[in-house]
Amino acid sequence: MREALFTDDPDAVLEEGPDRFNILICIDGSEESKRGLKYAVKIGQGNDADITLLYVRPLDKGMKSGVGLARQNMVEWGIELPGMRALKIARDQLIELGFLGGDWKEEDTRKRAYGDPVGDTMKTYTDKNGTHIALKLMMAPNTAAGILDECELNYYDLTILAMHGRGAKNVRGKIKWSTTRTVVTEHHGTVLLAREIEENHGHLICVNDEKSIEAARQDAILASRCQCPVSLLSVAETEEQLPEAEEAIAKARAAIEGAGVEVVDAWTEVGNPEEIIIERGKDFSVIVMADSSVKGFRRFFQSSVAYYVLQHAFNSVMIIR
Amino acid sequence: MALFTTRRSRRFRLRGTRNLRSMGYFLREKRWLIFAFVVGILLHLAPVPDGLTYAGKTVLVISVVAVILFVTEPVPLPAVAFMIVIAQILMLKGVDSKQVAQSLMSDSVLFIMGSLMLAVAIVKQKLDKRLAYLIVRMTGTRTLNVAVGIALVSGLMASVIGEHTVAAMMLPVAIILITLTSDDPKKVRGLAAVLLFSIAYGCSIAGIGTPSGGARNAIMIGYWKEFFYNGDEATKQYLVSYVDWIKVCYPVFLAQLPFVIGILFFTFKPEHKHLTRAVVKLRTIVEKEGAMKSSDWIAIMVFFATLLGWIFFSSEIGLGTIALLGAVTYMVLGLVRWEDLNTGVNWGVVWLYAAAISLGIQMKDTGAALWVADNFIGHLPGGMDSGIGLYASVSVLTTLVTNTMSNGAAVAVLGPISLNMATTAGESPLILGYITAISSAFAYLTVIGTPACTIVYASGYLKTTDFLKVGWKMVIMSTIILLAFAMFYWPAIGL
Repeated sequence: MREALFTDDPDAVLEEGPDRFNILICIDGSEESKRGLKYAVKIGQGNDADITLLYVRPLDKGMKSGVGLARQNMVEWGIELPGMRALKIARDQLIELGFLGGDWKEEDTRKRAYGDPVGDTMKTYTDKNGTHIALKLMMAPNTAAGILDECELNYYDLTILAMHGRGAKNVRGKIKWSTTRTVVTEHHGTVLLAREIEENHGHLICVNDEKSIEAARQDAILASRCQCPVSLLSVAETEEQLPEAEEAIAKARAAIEGAGVEVVDAWTEVGNPEEIIIERGKDFSVIVMADSSVKGFRRFFQSSVAYYVLQHAFNSVMIIR
Repeated sequence: MALFTTRRSRRFRLRGTRNLRSMGYFLREKRWLIFAFVVGILLHLAPVPDGLTYAGKTVLVISVVAVILFVTEPVPLPAVAFMIVIAQILMLKGVDSKQVAQSLMSDSVLFIMGSLMLAVAIVKQKLDKRLAYLIVRMTGTRTLNVAVGIALVSGLMASVIGEHTVAAMMLPVAIILITLTSDDPKKVRGLAAVLLFSIAYGCSIAGIGTPSGGARNAIMIGYWKEFFYNGDEATKQYLVSYVDWIKVCYPVFLAQLPFVIGILFFTFKPEHKHLTRAVVKLRTIVEKEGAMKSSDWIAIMVFFATLLGWIFFSSEIGLGTIALLGAVTYMVLGLVRWEDLNTGVNWGVVWLYAAAISLGIQMKDTGAALWVADNFIGHLPGGMDSGIGLYASVSVLTTLVTNTMSNGAAVAVLGPISLNMATTAGESPLILGYITAISSAFAYLTVIGTPACTIVYASGYLKTTDFLKVGWKMVIMSTIILLAFAMFYWPAIGL
């Protein structure tokens, strides 16, 4: 087992190991997270991908003394903690999908965290090619902080969160919009918000500036891992901006095809970017957007097209960084 | 592959961003802290209302800010406790650090400290398997009987020791019964809800049974003594003993028990009428423990000695002293290690209650509690400002507050107000005090209402909506029973 996966020292992870495609999928036991996992498996196919399944359980705050005692008691009775049950269901799904086989080396680790003896728990599976699957049950002040801690301490090429429905509602799962918003805002890497994800409808990559063109190239590589067709969309807010939108499409097409990936379709449109992207995006598995240009303190008060689409789209949205 | 190239360049961004990720993140995480401070500053700048002193207004401002922080928890609650202490020293004229420090420690606080240590010591004895054996032997395999057994045993225990201890011990028993019935949580949703809520609500209704059942009871006993006892015979009735409390409150717990089971079965309708397979397997598991060891018997004897101490000597030497004595005895006999107590006790809770009680005393001393009480009664519609109407109003107010914060904190904050309401309305401070303390147990609606609710929710079998679904029925039932006791039983026993 890679002990470094369980350390608090960022350097330990950053220095070691060959480059592998690391996917983090946040599990909350909902149907949506199961679908998100299926998509992760599709992206992670091949021998160079590692998958980490993460369940965050919030710390017992304030007056909730006794929850720690109860958990310790449950462990001593041999009862699995609820998060581990959800993770094991997800692991069984990996077995069903053929990603996890029978002759994998299995290891368990437990680490005291936040003063709780039950603390963090990890189960890892390693095959002979060095592929790792980790089931992590982590403690954190809240779900978003746990996901961000994990992302900061262990580099992930893609972080997947799953939600049901549009907007701020996720009645079925434990990952709420506030969690998603915080993770997407604060994360330094690429995040996929899996929302009723359908696998075979391709990626719609939205481009408008240089940054989004680099994002388009990165997503094209990602899409090629799962043989997803790639389409491009650029929206000009006025007729005068149309030539810029067409130029962005041309540059993105060149960058993507330069990376050896074919562009199936490309559109330029004039109008409200948020509405057009959401409407066009309905026919695709994933809408892909570059990170917001709004940063830091301003992000607290200001929204951007990417964040609007993330919240209001009917389907999955990926924010590339 | 290009996607991998950013790996090393991130190192410097990662460092230092873990705790304070960005200003936006900080502001979002601390928005309730900012809101509380803004509200506090605005209230502080507002003119002093008629009938209230400047000091009284300052205490109310501190209380409002503290309540917002209790409910929203943007900072660890012990930090809120220290903020209360600092605010009292800095904002109240004529109050120095020595006075505030003295007001932090009382018998109620010693009791909270001692009972939290006792809780850890008892859990460490691993008597939960014995309890499980007792329940299944007593109840047989019928689901109804098992639920009654769980609620009764949880209740009997939670009436004398902290409910979080009991819930922590009973939770594995219920989960084992659920998982042995079916591995698929969807097939046993109703059963899981009934068994888990039997623990949580069994503990909640019983916590008011005796003074040692919860911090709120000790806090109210402390307030009666602090506010009304003058050292003479006329006010001696405000020195409420362990037995006095039991006479008034234990029947309220027992009367609620059958209704709890009825409401749970009516609401969740368990899928299985019998748990034969699960009970047989559970018996096999617990029988592996073998006979009781001498250390088990000693642990039980120490606990019963502590209970007897509370019953017979708490009036003389205080509940807190006996709780500490019990905890020390466990340590002296080697039944629990200090390291276990140190890691198992949430010491922040002790500080929080200490600060809340200290603030409650300032509310009384500055006249803030009386001002709030007068205004509350003044705004009540006719007929609700005395007698059963006032009892109902106080009960509803306490129920609303206790569902948003811990019941101990609710009593610490509301106690001085309800006791002053009694004085203003010409009612008995004892009756309104009991109503406040008992109503603080009606935190059935939310996961965070009581430690027992939080613990059963941590099992992963319940949804937050389950608490609302059954909680409102529980609130109505408990309120009706409480008011019935206040009208008929308490006058009959001379209260």
